[in-house]
Amino acid sequence: MREKKREQFDVVIIGGGAAGLTAAIYCGRARLNTLLIEKSLMGGLATYTNEIANFPGFPEEITGLGLMKLFHKQAKKFGVKFKLTDVKKVDFSNETKEVETFRNIYEAKTVIIASGGRPRTTGAENEEKFLFDKGISFCATCDAAANTGKTVMIIGSGDAAIEEGTFLSKFADKVIFSVIHDTGKMDCNEIAKEQALANSKMEFMWNTIVDSFEGEDHLKTVVLKNLKTSELERVDVDTCFEFIGYLPNTEIFNDIIELTDQEYIVTDENMYTGVEGVFACGDVRDKVLKQVATAVGDGAIAGVEAEKFISETEVFHNQLMQKEKIGFIYIYSAIDSVSRELLPIMKEIEDELKDVAKLNVVDMYKGKRLCERLDCNAEPMKIIFTKNGEIVGNTKDCSKNHVIGKLKELAAK
Amino acid sequence: MKEVELDCMGEACPIPLVKAQKKLETMDGGDILLVLIDHSCAMKNLPEWARKAGHNVEIEELDDGEWEVVIEKVV
Repeated sequence: MREKKREQFDVVIIGGGAAGLTAAIYCGRARLNTLLIEKSLMGGLATYTNEIANFPGFPEEITGLGLMKLFHKQAKKFGVKFKLTDVKKVDFSNETKEVETFRNIYEAKTVIIASGGRPRTTGAENEEKFLFDKGISFCATCDAAANTGKTVMIIGSGDAAIEEGTFLSKFADKVIFSVIHDTGKMDCNEIAKEQALANSKMEFMWNTIVDSFEGEDHLKTVVLKNLKTSELERVDVDTCFEFIGYLPNTEIFNDIIELTDQEYIVTDENMYTGVEGVFACGDVRDKVLKQVATAVGDGAIAGVEAEKFISETEVFHNQLMQKEKIGFIYIYSAIDSVSRELLPIMKEIEDELKDVAKLNVVDMYKGKRLCERLDCNAEPMKIIFTKNGEIVGNTKDCSKNHVIGKLKELAAK
Repeated sequence: MKEVELDCMGEACPIPLVKAQKKLETMDGGDILLVLIDHSCAMKNLPEWARKAGHNVEIEELDDGEWEVVIEKVV
């Protein structure tokens, strides 16, 4: 086995789509030493879309590839480094995170996962020939307008299929569903089903799956196979939409990060995954709307949170866990008057014992995550004592005499 | 395990791909082939082919419009 080369970064971003590139722009601009790893071509799923008409700021429309090139250029401008390769393995169990490719191990203070996902496909004959902009689409929001007055087919009968189909029926003349189940049986919820069956523009072909896709440069015909009779039926369409699920790229995070049943990464609204120092953004997250516009928002939050995390880590190690003196960390709430009034008292204590004791103050609202690191849920206030960079005790009794007594006791030990 | 460099600067598609395929045939599993290219189409078809063939691939941008495609042969 070849020895893998180790390199150190502040931030490693996995995935170079809209979310990852936006996170990179924010991290780069915050002057963090940032590496972005993309497994194939920069730009992610957006590059498969021919026209992006709903990303604000581009009224003349822009191609997905063109837009992503601009994202990439902007990230480059802020000094972000790029690697085009597959991430094979990650290790988030230590404070220094490791991201492994086939040649390198990248060490990072924080990792942003923006690995996105891919639509599930039918696997039928010739499917690859027509994917994305050649007649097989995965996004009604993107391609509905282009199908005004036309005939489209939808593969699938789940909630997404029916919802997107309903949207498409406002544009297209005819929306034909290929449903794998028996007549009247659909995977979506009952209300959606009733509405769909009542929609005069919708037609359903039951017990069918796609046998092949046919056409020249662009898809022209979908050949469906009836599962009961094995008969083939040719249906001419302008576009075929497949809504048979979406597969997030989370295989390497199994057992490391909390995933939903559909294997999306669970985050809070700050893109935090629950694993210290690891954030996730974009399509790989469990969220409602997967668009470039929402990926950008996610990426911005993840970038800023990563930066905050790094500076908090520095504060934690260099200030709160200082080793020179006995430490006492006063954790208080700025909106609580009693705990606020104790602030000058704390300062007095430090002045009286300035040769042996060092005060640090943490506002539990601003420094919520610092409190989490200190494993402290103080209401409304608490003091944590440290010695040689380690927590050695705590007290809720913040009276001057008690604190001074405790500090002297610790100094004498 | 050896590392072999293949300079395909200034060469248009499909020459870099063909050269890389021929070179890889002479190499053993675990060996690394470094292909230098400055033709953007080779930057697409070479990695695509190598990945499909099951090899490990990494692309490094050396300069604007110049790339190094790193292929580790997997047998």
